[in-house]
Amino acid sequence: MDKNDIKEYANHLMFDLNDEELSAIEKDFAVLEAQLGLLDLIDTTNTEEMIYPFEDDTFFLREDNADHIISKEDALRNAPKEREGHFVVPKVVK
Amino acid sequence: MNYKTVVGIEIHLELKTNTKMFSGAPYTFKAEANTLVNEVDLGMPGTLPCVNHEAVRKAIQACLALNLNIDPLIRFDRKNYYYSDLPKGYQITQQFHPIGRDGYLDIEAEGEKKRIRIERIHMEEDTAKQFHLFDETLIDYNRAGVPLIEIVSKPDISSGLEASLYVEKLKQTLNYLDVSDTKMEEGSMRCDVNVSINEEGSDVFGTKVEIKNLNSIANIRHAIDYEVNRQKEALAKGEAIHQETRRFDEKSMTTVLMRKKEGNVDYKYFPEPNIFPIRIKASEIEDIKEHMPELPDAKMARYMRDFGLNEYDANQLIQNKDLSIYFDKLVKLVKNTRLAATMLISELSGLLAKRSEDITTTKVTAKNLATLIQMIDDKEISSKQGKEVLEAMMDGNDPKQIVKERGMKQVSDEGAILKIVEEVLEENPSSIADFKNGKDRALGYLVGQVMKKSKGQANPQLASKLVKEKLMAN
Amino acid sequence: MTIREMKKQDPKILLNDAYNKVVEYQKKLNASITIIEPEANASDGLLSNIPVAVKDNFSTEGIKTTAASNILDNYVPIFDATVVKKLKEAGTVIVSKASMDELAMGGSNLTANIGPCHNPYDLKRISGGSSGGSAVLVASGAVPLAIGSDTGDSVRKPAAFCGVVGVKPTYGRISRYGVIPYASSLDHVGYFTTNIEDAALALSVLAGRDDLDMTSSYAEVKNYHEDLNGDIKGKKILVFDNVVNAIEDQTIIAQFNQLVAGLAAKGALVKHVSFDNDLMRAIFGTYFIIANAEATANHSNLDGIRFGHRVDGNTMEEVMINTRTRGFSSFIKKRFVVGSYSLFEENQERLLRKAHKVRRLIVEAVMAELKDADALIAPASGIIAPKIASEEKIDELTDAYLIAENHMIIGNFGGLPSMTQPMGFKDGMPLGVNITCNPFREQTMFDIGLAIEDLTGLKGLVKEDF
Ligand SMILES: [Mg+2]
Ligand SMILES: [Zn+2]
Repeated sequence: MDKNDIKEYANHLMFDLNDEELSAIEKDFAVLEAQLGLLDLIDTTNTEEMIYPFEDDTFFLREDNADHIISKEDALRNAPKEREGHFVVPKVVK
Repeated sequence: MNYKTVVGIEIHLELKTNTKMFSGAPYTFKAEANTLVNEVDLGMPGTLPCVNHEAVRKAIQACLALNLNIDPLIRFDRKNYYYSDLPKGYQITQQFHPIGRDGYLDIEAEGEKKRIRIERIHMEEDTAKQFHLFDETLIDYNRAGVPLIEIVSKPDISSGLEASLYVEKLKQTLNYLDVSDTKMEEGSMRCDVNVSINEEGSDVFGTKVEIKNLNSIANIRHAIDYEVNRQKEALAKGEAIHQETRRFDEKSMTTVLMRKKEGNVDYKYFPEPNIFPIRIKASEIEDIKEHMPELPDAKMARYMRDFGLNEYDANQLIQNKDLSIYFDKLVKLVKNTRLAATMLISELSGLLAKRSEDITTTKVTAKNLATLIQMIDDKEISSKQGKEVLEAMMDGNDPKQIVKERGMKQVSDEGAILKIVEEVLEENPSSIADFKNGKDRALGYLVGQVMKKSKGQANPQLASKLVKEKLMAN
Repeated sequence: MTIREMKKQDPKILLNDAYNKVVEYQKKLNASITIIEPEANASDGLLSNIPVAVKDNFSTEGIKTTAASNILDNYVPIFDATVVKKLKEAGTVIVSKASMDELAMGGSNLTANIGPCHNPYDLKRISGGSSGGSAVLVASGAVPLAIGSDTGDSVRKPAAFCGVVGVKPTYGRISRYGVIPYASSLDHVGYFTTNIEDAALALSVLAGRDDLDMTSSYAEVKNYHEDLNGDIKGKKILVFDNVVNAIEDQTIIAQFNQLVAGLAAKGALVKHVSFDNDLMRAIFGTYFIIANAEATANHSNLDGIRFGHRVDGNTMEEVMINTRTRGFSSFIKKRFVVGSYSLFEENQERLLRKAHKVRRLIVEAVMAELKDADALIAPASGIIAPKIASEEKIDELTDAYLIAENHMIIGNFGGLPSMTQPMGFKDGMPLGVNITCNPFREQTMFDIGLAIEDLTGLKGLVKEDF
């Protein structure tokens, strides 16, 4: 993984990296790749993925009752920019 | 060169639930901005999704109606992308394990039955609504988190007409199930189509062009027809078809380029860790199956079989779910079911349209209409009188009362009518002469005179019969 | 002093005392992000008028909640996390929103946007993290209970470094609703106390099903504090030999062995177990992939649009990019890049899906032994708390790092209840021992903890002179 790849990954995540950050990540990646390489030593043939700590079936579903609503004021309380009850951003270029 | 049109359709449908897919906030179509939200819908830090049971039930109903195999283990995944209408920066959807797979819907195109296969139905959540102003965008998160199902067809559709019939049938079916409002104009049903053309006989697929956000069934047909032609013309000129997204411009009735596709976007799907797989018990699916509302095809067959309706009338009724619900009520109260259908389709519907009312709000109750139909059927009043009575019933009046007030008894007493017939013939010797000289029009004139003299109360068939008999006897 | 004893005091004095300590210690320890003046709580619950600290990634209505990140430095939640609600209902009074690693993504507490948190045993040393502030506020005697979160060992490691009890119960035992996440499938709510009795009492208060968290458990909540019983005769305890063998510091090994001998003397049936070392060496890489993959997605909501610290721009995209570029530290951005890397379709088979499979193999290996036993025991760490400005960098490819410093992640992979408590000292710095039990066997964990407390005499340990 080189600096260009790293920069591209960052842009996928909607942030920029400066040169210092790029160099640091590039350097760390060497150690990380070695650590991740340790996984290759494990034979996972016929092993299912484990995504959750527990795998018993669950049955709970929320009943369709409108029981949790907040006020418009609360909704917008932390809004960095607001107008007429809406959240505002600079024009979205589609 | 001959080309085959290949169309696949993706439909997003808002489910008709009280609350959102993953939060207990209510949803209605029209509300003040940002008043139908809670912290979950706004993607506030630390909030967690909680799956709506009713949304799952409705998705199961849709799967059953469209003949899909249901996966009873409900699982969700994250689709990652950044956009201002997507509060969490990911959409919770069912990429890897859709709730339903491998179904179909039968349509009838130009008299021929055709099966459109459905690849999958999955559940997901809707995004916020944005309003683009001159230099700012306003965001209303009311719609964020509304339950959606996405219905993905196989590319089995081979014309704009078939596409429109498929969507129409789908819309009707899901509307009957009460799974969704299916209002394209309000966005509760949204349609994207993929169009490509293949050389006849070749198994090489043409380049797919996506047309997004078609907002009416007519436009689906127009857009596909236009797009197919555009592609054919391009190929004829030796131009290549590009993989791109287009939209339909209603003014020019053409499709317009929105954006070129640069490779496939990687949404970095992975299983949603906050929702353990949820097992839907077989008994629940059985229960949903048992309580499925009657679907349009079944209903149409029943109307033709049990009530003797012709295909046209039966179809007229099922086209409008509310009308058919009214008919179901009405038909229980009358003997002459065909007359009931006619009264509903031709008379009541016409009057409602004239007054910009509809069947769900009409003051004409099924019980009153049944009474009216019975009076006509029993020849207590003529069908012509019936129309007049119905018009008077539109404000909620009782038909018996109207008939009584207006003195509208139909006279079916032969003696009484015969008396009037004799009077009329006496008064119109020239018409008798005309009849004898072969002028058939004279008969109609004379019957009309009888009706007039009886103030419309004479049974017209009887009047006609008696006039004819008298004339022949003369 | 235990909470039971504290409750006999005048609540006003108790709360003021805690508040004053939190304020006074701040200059030296830097353990709080927000300090809150106490108001007496009218509830006469199990923890009535007990002052507590809550890690700053727990949503507190009306109180700034930053997760130690600049991107949230002005965020004031409009709701309480379920845990916070439960704490209030039980009568506690929150006096501190405690420092932590930025977004809980670290193990040192050096990455907090307010700067490092200091260890009361040696201010030049780290507290450990990510729940460092919470650990330090309990270790310094400011509060008897502090809430933290544990994704890898973020409660248990700082507990070891600061000489307190650090509990991470079973996954789903305590609701995660309202906790700013790190990695949802590994995140646990945990907490710190100075003794086992308080640890048991706290779980009686905090545990329970919450419909707002679909992963929370329906398992019955017991009266852990009332049922506490230090008699461990016949309890089967597994000694985690891979960890012991990976530790280089013989002082630590000696103290641990002495403790194990003590447990045997009390009638515990001690058995040594060893797992495949390749599997153990893969713990960290497996964790790093899964945790960061989930974390990148979990923090995609931090975009400056609905809340948080927006940095302006000319377009919506620019707002997002500027906000996130300035809002996250370099350290966080690195983690996100790694997480995103393993999520790309072309990498998922080799990285994320591989990690999910190795996760299973690790959990299955441990469960195969644990299912016939009561607990797995090991030193929590092979080192004392490192210096803040440390020159000696640990080699991250040795067993001393990969196994000895990361074994507690197993508890997060399998959702197992796991707890660290003081074991002894080295060079005046505390050492911790970790016990891990079967799912929902917290009672067993506390019972063994009580026996250990009896053996070490390290109950109610606090360090007030620093
Ligand atoms: Mg799609
Ligand atoms: Zn979709």
